[in-house]
Amino acid sequence: MTQVSTAYEVYQFMSAKNILVAFTGHFDHLVTTSLLRNIKNKLKDLQSITGIDKKVYNILVESIENISKYSSKNTKHNIAMLLLCKGEKNFTIITGNHVLNKDVPALKERLDKVIKLGQEDLKKLYREQMLSKRTDENSAGLGIIDIAIKSKNQIKYDFKPLNEQTSFYLFQTEINIQK
Amino acid sequence: MDSLIIPPTNDSPEVKFDTTTYRFSIIGESRPENAGKFYDPIINWLTEFENILYWRKHEMKDNSSTVVFVFKLDYFNSTSAKHIMDILLMIKRFIGQGYKVNVEWQYDKYTEDMLDAGTEFSNMIGLNFKFVEIDVD
Repeated sequence: MTQVSTAYEVYQFMSAKNILVAFTGHFDHLVTTSLLRNIKNKLKDLQSITGIDKKVYNILVESIENISKYSSKNTKHNIAMLLLCKGEKNFTIITGNHVLNKDVPALKERLDKVIKLGQEDLKKLYREQMLSKRTDENSAGLGIIDIAIKSKNQIKYDFKPLNEQTSFYLFQTEINIQK
Repeated sequence: MDSLIIPPTNDSPEVKFDTTTYRFSIIGESRPENAGKFYDPIINWLTEFENILYWRKHEMKDNSSTVVFVFKLDYFNSTSAKHIMDILLMIKRFIGQGYKVNVEWQYDKYTEDMLDAGTEFSNMIGLNFKFVEIDVD
């Protein structure tokens, strides 16, 4: 059972790590919408004059949408995670969700392809995807490419195997604060 | 033909295609749960509008009547991007048929990503945009 002291440790941990938002749960459209509204106001309160709040918000929306695109459809595993941290030099967005092990190689391949590209090649790939036939698969790829372009490709990922069927997929984006 | 008016929601932009002024605007944030369901009626409306243009071609091909499409988007998700492109392709087709149609892409001066997105669309489709920097809160 969670004790008061544990809760305080969570708070201390979140403060120390500059975690602005931490959420776990089922990310359906309604939850996402209210969560985003809350985060939008939080970002506005930071009173940035450079528009970084909007960039962070945009990448955040796309990251959350990626959760539902790649989550295993098994409802038991529908719990996902979102972290938004603000350091001195950058914002960090991390999403985590369950994926089926059988889907991991294809996802890894797609991520590795995007991660090694520079800004011009990313834009080229974005264009190719935009002009290609419309399928769910394609638009999912488009999301990752879009995040890569907007963050100047500061993407990392990891897969933590959970059991024979599923892994926990972590996806991280950093956004520099100074221009 | 009646104007197309779709009020804004938390996840979709305001759409105002005013057939009395020929100023057609899409304003706000676009990340609808089902982008097809949101954008299909807009495309259908524009298809019908294309017929109207045809019947009024003499009027619409002189300089006095110009259709202006205004895009003022805070954000659109990658699924919406493809539908926005469909609208832009349709505009390109109108222009190709000789109608006077302009695209005005408004962007917040601090949101370079939206200027980049507009530039990208413009290059991808081969359509000139008038870029307008605006100062929002």
